[in-house]
Amino acid sequence: MIVPVEVVLGLSAVLFGIGVFGFLARRNIILMLISVEVMLNAVNLSLAGFSRHLNDPSGQVLALFVIAVAAAEVGPRSLRRGSLDLLPTRGPTGRRSDSVFHIR
Amino acid sequence: MTLLTVQAVFYYMAAASVTSAILAVTRKNPVHSMLWVLALFLHVAGIFLLLGAEFLAAVQVIVYGGAILIFYLFVLMLLDLPGEEAGPRFGAHWPLAAAAGLGFAALIWLAQIEPLDLAGAEAAPAAAPMAAEGPPLGSLSQVGTALFGPFALPFEIASLVLLAAIVSAVVLARRRAAS
Repeated sequence: MIVPVEVVLGLSAVLFGIGVFGFLARRNIILMLISVEVMLNAVNLSLAGFSRHLNDPSGQVLALFVIAVAAAEVGPRSLRRGSLDLLPTRGPTGRRSDSVFHIR
Repeated sequence: MTLLTVQAVFYYMAAASVTSAILAVTRKNPVHSMLWVLALFLHVAGIFLLLGAEFLAAVQVIVYGGAILIFYLFVLMLLDLPGEEAGPRFGAHWPLAAAAGLGFAALIWLAQIEPLDLAGAEAAPAAAPMAAEGPPLGSLSQVGTALFGPFALPFEIASLVLLAAIVSAVVLARRRAAS
């Protein structure tokens, strides 16, 4: 182990806190979801750190599952926002209703 | 590389990850946020490499940096970016959110400030050298053996989750086209 496992866990805690702050504070829904990705990365980091600490590949396998779930949720979530096929009917400067994209 | 060099690289990666995460959640322009999050993903992949998780680092770059981030960028391009930039970036309750983030980080920090006394720590002490025989930790063969051995059921469930994502994407797209 090149650094103590506590350092990796502390880094993971800081990144998770930043993600929590972003998720609660941002008003744009896309940036809130990006903050969720930051939190998932923090968890992956702590899983990899534990895997290294215990010399056990299970942590890396769990991190792979986290990545798989993160990849599975991004597609339907973006389609549900309805932004993929609304563009041709609006002009490039057409202003979409903000209520879909903002938490107000 | 000497141990000192590797440690210096680790601390650089850690500092760069924290910096890019802070910038990603505070930038006003969503595209700038997205690019800072890309920097965060790449630095986390570098930390994975230093922790001996080579396959995880490759998957991080390919799936997070390649697929997920590009999808978010596609969605962002369809937004009204000047309108996004005009509004305030945080809600009025952002001090509460900052307190919650600090609280979570402090809670996780306090949880691991005690000396780690894990159940398996004695069986596999931290300073144990790698087994002389067998693949090293994090190699593709070791991860694959774990994935298809003790984790076979979660692996199949993950494939079901991905299948559900594909089906739901098709259903949502078709419903919108019909209406």
